[in-house]
Amino acid sequence: MTTTAAGGSPSPRREPAPSAEAGLLRIREPIPAWQSWLLGIVPVAVLLLVWFGATLGDAEARLISPTILPSPAEVVASLPQLWFERELTRNIGVSFLRVVEGFALAVAVAFPLGVFMGAFTKVKSAFTPLTVFGAYLPIPTLVPLTLSLFGTGEMQKVMFLALAFSIYLVPLFVAAVDAVDDTYLKTAYTLGASKGQTVGRVLLPISWPDIYQAMRLGFGVGWSYILLAEMVDMGRGLGGIILSSQRRGPREHIYLVLVFIVLVAFLTDRLWAAVGRWLFPYREEKR
Amino acid sequence: MEEQQPKVGPTALGKLVLFLFVLACIGGAAWYFRDLVAPGGRGGAKQVNLDEFKKVEAPDTKGVTTVSEYKYVPGEKLPPVKGVSAYKWDAQQKVVSFPINVWIGWLPIVAANHGFAPSADSVFAKKHGFKVNLKLIDDPVVARDAFAAGDSHVLWGTLDMMVLFAPDLMKDSRSAPRVLQQIDWSSGGDGIVVRGNIHGVSDLKGKTVVYAQNSPSQYFINNLLLNAGIQPSQVKHKFTATAFEAAAAFVADKSIDGCVSWAPDIYNIPDKVKGTRVLTTTAEANKLIADVWAVRADFAKDHPDIVKGLVSGIFEGMDQLKDATFREKAYQWMAEGYGMQADQVRAMANDAHSTNFGENKAFFLNANDPANFERTWKNVTFVYRELGLVDTPTRFDEVMDFSVVQDLDKAGTFASQKDESRTAFAPTSYKKVSAESPILTQTIRINFYPNSANVFEPQHDENGKVVANTLYDPSVSATLEKVARLVGQYERAVVAVVGHTDSSMKGKGTRFEDVKQLSSDRAEAVKQALVKKYNFDPNKFTVEGKGWDEPANPDDPMNQALNRRVEISVYPPEAK
Repeated sequence: MTTTAAGGSPSPRREPAPSAEAGLLRIREPIPAWQSWLLGIVPVAVLLLVWFGATLGDAEARLISPTILPSPAEVVASLPQLWFERELTRNIGVSFLRVVEGFALAVAVAFPLGVFMGAFTKVKSAFTPLTVFGAYLPIPTLVPLTLSLFGTGEMQKVMFLALAFSIYLVPLFVAAVDAVDDTYLKTAYTLGASKGQTVGRVLLPISWPDIYQAMRLGFGVGWSYILLAEMVDMGRGLGGIILSSQRRGPREHIYLVLVFIVLVAFLTDRLWAAVGRWLFPYREEKR
Repeated sequence: MEEQQPKVGPTALGKLVLFLFVLACIGGAAWYFRDLVAPGGRGGAKQVNLDEFKKVEAPDTKGVTTVSEYKYVPGEKLPPVKGVSAYKWDAQQKVVSFPINVWIGWLPIVAANHGFAPSADSVFAKKHGFKVNLKLIDDPVVARDAFAAGDSHVLWGTLDMMVLFAPDLMKDSRSAPRVLQQIDWSSGGDGIVVRGNIHGVSDLKGKTVVYAQNSPSQYFINNLLLNAGIQPSQVKHKFTATAFEAAAAFVADKSIDGCVSWAPDIYNIPDKVKGTRVLTTTAEANKLIADVWAVRADFAKDHPDIVKGLVSGIFEGMDQLKDATFREKAYQWMAEGYGMQADQVRAMANDAHSTNFGENKAFFLNANDPANFERTWKNVTFVYRELGLVDTPTRFDEVMDFSVVQDLDKAGTFASQKDESRTAFAPTSYKKVSAESPILTQTIRINFYPNSANVFEPQHDENGKVVANTLYDPSVSATLEKVARLVGQYERAVVAVVGHTDSSMKGKGTRFEDVKQLSSDRAEAVKQALVKKYNFDPNKFTVEGKGWDEPANPDDPMNQALNRRVEISVYPPEAK
C-alpha cells in the first residue's frame, strides 16, 4: 500500500501522479475530525493493551515485574493516595507556576535578543557562538551553578527553567525573523521605511506566527526539565514527587505523575493552539 | 467559513457576561469542593508522639543477660520465593553482578576480587568457583532498578535505605532483598555541619536544615532530633536529591543553618566557609549507619553456595587487607574502578569501619546487642514511619538472613576475626566531660518508688509490702531500650547520666545532701541497668546527681512530675 502512496516517479508537485491520489494513504489527504480522533486513539489503546498484557497475573507470573512496572489497575488504585495525601493538584499548581514564571522570564530575554539577532547581522554574529554553545550544553550541569547564584528557593527553580527555555527559544526566534522574505524588506525600503519601521512594521508582523509557534513548542520543554529544576529543595512540585517515589515508592505514583504531566502538557498545548487560531486566523487558511 | 454564518446569538457584551458567569460558577464549585479538588493532604505540623519512640518493643522484664541468640531459623520468617527465577545468569560463566557505590567500605570485596572485573585470580574464583563483576552504580535508584529487573544480583545500600526499598521490592517475592552481611559502619563518612550559632542538636529548633531526602542523611538528622526530644516539625527541612547538592545548598544559601552530607564535603566546608563547624559525624555515632548488601531472594534460593562464597570471600578480603602491601594494591584497584587517584581513595580510609566476622556475629546473631540489625531496623522504621515515609513497614526478619553467618560461626571458619571494635574508655568525671556542650541531651522519665533508686522496683501494697512479679514503672524496660539504642548508636561517645529529683521536700527538713545522693543513686541505677543488659563499657558513662537544683522547666519550677527525671547527654569523645 505504501509503495503506491509514496509515488516513486518524479512528477511535478502541482499535478500528482494518479498513483499518489489512490490507495489507503494519500499525501495531505483531508480527513474528517472523527477519523482523526479515532486514528489517534488506536495507538494509545494498543499501548494500554500491551501494558495490561505485560502486567497480567500474579507478581511472579508477569512479563514485567511489578517492582519495575505496576499494572494499570494498581496504578489507578494508587490515585486516591497521590491525590489526597501527596496533594497532587497543589503540586501540579506549584510546578505549573514555576514553568510559567520561567517561561515568561525567558521570553522577556529571548524575544528582544532573537529579534535583534534576526534583524541585524552584527548582533547575530556576536551572539551566535553563545547560542550554539548553549544548544550543545548538557543542562543538568547547570544545577549547581544556579544553586550558588540563586540559592535554594523558588528563585533558583525559576531561573534554571528560564535558562533552559532561553537556550531553546533564541535560535527559534532568530529563525522566525530570518524567514521573512527579502521582497517585503525591499518593498519597505522603496516606500522609505526607517530601520525601526522596518523591524516594527515588516519583520515583526510577518514573523509573529512563527514566533508564536516557537513559543508553543518551547513551552513543552519546561516540563522535561521540571525534574532537574526541582532536584533541590524538592518539598513541593511534581518533580519532587517523582524523585522521592523512585526512592521509597510507590512506583505507581511515578507513572501516575507522568500521565498527569502529559495531560497538563496536552491541555496547555490545546490552549496555545486555540489562542493561535484566534490570533492568526490567516495562518490556518494557508493549508 | 465563519463569516458566512448568519449573525445570531448574544452580542459581544452578552458573550462576556455569559463567559464571566460560567467562570464564576466553575470557580465557586472549585472553592466549594476545594478539599476534593486540591486536598491539603497530611502535610503541615505533624506531631510525633515522642513516647512512642521507646515503645517499639514489648517490655522485656527479664532482660539481664548479655548475649541472647535468635532461636528461629531464618527460612521460617523470610518470605518464600514463588514463580520462576527472573535474573540474568550464565551457568557456564557464573559471574555475579555486584554493583557498588563510591565508598571505602567496599575495599574488602575489591581486594578479594582483585579489582572490579571478573578475575580468575580472585578469592571467589579460586576458593568458591564463581566470579564477581563489581560495577560502579553510584545512583541508588539506578542500582535498585537494575536489581529489580534482575540485571544485577546484588543491591548495595545502608540499612535505612533497605527499609525504604523493601516494601516495593517485596511486591515480587523473587526480588525480595535478603541481607546476609554487614560490610561496615559509617565511621566519619556522614556528618552534620552547622553555622556557629548552633551548639547542640537542641539549638536546631526553629532552624533550617538541608539534606538529601530518603537517604542516610535523612535518617541521621531525624533520629538525632527525635532523640533530643525535638519534633521534626519544629525544624524546617529542605530536601535535595543528593548529599552533594545539600552541601552546595548550605554553602550557597546563608539562610540555611545546617546540612547533612558526606565526607569529604563535611570536613571541607568548615575549612572554606567561615563560621561553620561540624556538629557531629558518624565518627561518634559510629553504630548508626550500617552498610550492607542484599541479594535477590530467587538467586539466594538457587545458589546458596555462591551466596555463602560471597560472604566468605568478603571476610577473606578483610584478612588480606591486614597486609600493608596488599592494601596499597587494593587502593590502586579501587582507584582504577572509580576512575580516581589512589591518593583520593586512601583519603577515604577513615570514612568507614569494616565489620569483620565477629562484628557481623554481634550484628546478626546477638539479640541483645544495642546496635544490632533488629534494633537498627526498628529504629529506622520508627523514624521513617513518624515522618510518613513508610506506610506498611517490613519486619526485620523478612529481610535479615543470618543463615550464612550462623553456618560460618558453627564451622568456626572465621573464629580468628574477633569483635575488637569496641571502644575502650578511661574512667572520667562528670566535671571534665560536661565542660563542653553535649551533642544532644535526651530526657527520660522513670517512675522511681519514693526514696528508692531501684529501676526495677516492684509495686507495693497499701501496707508497703512488695507485690511479687510487678513493676512500679511497667515501662522501665522500654525506657531503657530507648536509651540503649541511642547509647549504642553513639558507641564512641561519652555519655553523662544525670539524675534530678523533685523539690517537694524542699524547706521541709530534708537535707540537700540526701536528695543529691538519691538523684545520684538513681542515675547510677540507670547506668548499671544499661551496663548489665546491653554489655556497655561502664567507663563509657559518667554519673551525676543534681538533686533539686535544676528544675526541668525554669519557668515552671514546681512541676514536680517533670522534675523527677534522668537526663542522658551524649558528648563528643574529645571531651574526655
